[in-house]
Amino acid sequence: MDKYLAIFKISFAQEFAYRLNFVMWRVRNIMQFFLIFFLWDTVFSSPSTQIFGYDRPKILTYVFGLIIVRSIVLSARSVDIAGEVSRGDLSNYLVKPINYIKYWLTRDLSSKLLNLSFAMFEAVLLFIVLKPPFFLQTEALQLTFFVFSIFTAILLFFLLMFLFSMFALWYPDQAWGASFLLFIFVDFLGGGVFPLDVLPVNFQNILYLTPFPYLLFSPLQIYLGKFDTLLTVRNVLIGAIWVAILSVMVNKIWRLGLKVYRSEGR
Amino acid sequence: MDLSVKVHRLTKNFEVTVKKPGLKEAIKALFNPEKKTVHALKQISFTIEEGELVGFIGPNGAGKTTTLKTLSGLLYPTSGHVLVEGFDPWDRKSEFLKKIALVMGQKNQLWWDLPAIETFELNRAIYEIPRKKYEESLNELVSLLDVKKLLSIPVRRLSLGQRMRLELVAALIHGPKVLFLDEPTIGLDVVASQKMRDFILSYNKRFKATVILTSHNMGDVASLAKRVIVIDKGKIIFDGNLSELVSLYAKEKIIKVVLSGDGDYKSLEKIGKVISISIPKVEILVSRSMATLAASEILQNFSVEDLNIEEEPVENVVRRIFSGETKNLKRKKNG
Repeated sequence: MDKYLAIFKISFAQEFAYRLNFVMWRVRNIMQFFLIFFLWDTVFSSPSTQIFGYDRPKILTYVFGLIIVRSIVLSARSVDIAGEVSRGDLSNYLVKPINYIKYWLTRDLSSKLLNLSFAMFEAVLLFIVLKPPFFLQTEALQLTFFVFSIFTAILLFFLLMFLFSMFALWYPDQAWGASFLLFIFVDFLGGGVFPLDVLPVNFQNILYLTPFPYLLFSPLQIYLGKFDTLLTVRNVLIGAIWVAILSVMVNKIWRLGLKVYRSEGR
Repeated sequence: MDLSVKVHRLTKNFEVTVKKPGLKEAIKALFNPEKKTVHALKQISFTIEEGELVGFIGPNGAGKTTTLKTLSGLLYPTSGHVLVEGFDPWDRKSEFLKKIALVMGQKNQLWWDLPAIETFELNRAIYEIPRKKYEESLNELVSLLDVKKLLSIPVRRLSLGQRMRLELVAALIHGPKVLFLDEPTIGLDVVASQKMRDFILSYNKRFKATVILTSHNMGDVASLAKRVIVIDKGKIIFDGNLSELVSLYAKEKIIKVVLSGDGDYKSLEKIGKVISISIPKVEILVSRSMATLAASEILQNFSVEDLNIEEEPVENVVRRIFSGETKNLKRKKNG
């Protein structure tokens, strides 16, 4: 455990070395937030507008909640994995008594802690500036489910990221495509651009069988108290099942991938 | 003595996609990629004893680095067996990884934006080194490599030579018994290379560590390793003492003479091929069998102040081996 604590610390220190990058990333997050916020604000400019059961306060609540969930779930250092593998820098870790998957999970968590503290600050700032309607969940049970679903989402996103990054073990020269694809999936199918319940029901049903809704949409809905207890429990469970499935997949594919790993770049 | 490394009929093939220039070819490759198998290692076998210092030499792409990477568990062998310190490297057991270190001249493990000491601390945790032992070996390495002043400077601000020394500290902080060094002096200037070589030798002596190094720089190998393994196109073509390699394949010797007074420099050309004249020093290349004869002839006919018969530089010998001049190579077992 001591080793992963050390990784957590050095990773944290590293983030601070890239102060400017970090600030840019935060600015990007705010810009993205503004984009989505004003988009929906315009769509719902007349107070009587209601689309797919969403009126202005509801959608703005969703959007505002999104900024927090996004910055917890999607802020991840693990975007660097694919590059590291394709450059052959992975070799540095393979010769050490350390688990590469856990190494990156630790770095992700470290990055999240830093990002979360900033996101809280930004959220308060934006709240003061934009005065959006905001819903404060006070039900202990609901909050417990929310925390649990956030943990699930963090693991899910990490596992998906790792899964897609492993593409680079087979095709080191084409490492990026797969990870970009993942980001698109996550944003559209995860609820990062619009709430998923605006989609046709049939499509939603299929979507709920994939891991994506459990990344952003489901945790947020749980927080907002949109799901009844049964649906909440079901969603939390399916998310957890996906974590289990993906862990097994990642470990299996990782072992296969290492056999073809060419340790290029000298 | 115990065996540190045992390699038996090791073969490694790589599947690579062939890339041809041009847009048309690129589009073709998209639908029907042309695959090619590269035979990086072809059934090589060798053993290395504990505490030995062995140099791997060979041209680029000969399979030196592939061998080191297989020995350190990075590459999965296509066939054959590898044992290092009694472990199969591919299992990547913690006990095994704690015993080895792989240093690649062109790959760094130091965290680029942080002072090197942070990476050392990280490695202390990763290798689970007890605090006291860590302090001891850190102090020892730091003084051996003379890097005390560099410890708290962010790595990105250091020169390549400084960085390489710190890379070594990071790689050796856990006191590995087996050291794989891939091109440890690449890109270093003369002074820095010399420091690196001195260090490698002293580490080998001090800790009785097994050291296997590859280098394209013959100076490295000649000054460090008694035993060399010459590898070309995935096969071992020589395995033995460096001096044997030279005596087997060197065709010529160099006679270095310092003449006193006004010698007849011109007539020296009759004795052999004059390769350099800087009066009063002359260097003459003669065939090995004629070397003693030529030397006595010089001593008789010229007023000589000093005379030396030297071996051809190892570089030349090796260059000749790889250019295919020496066709009838005898395969030698461990010398």
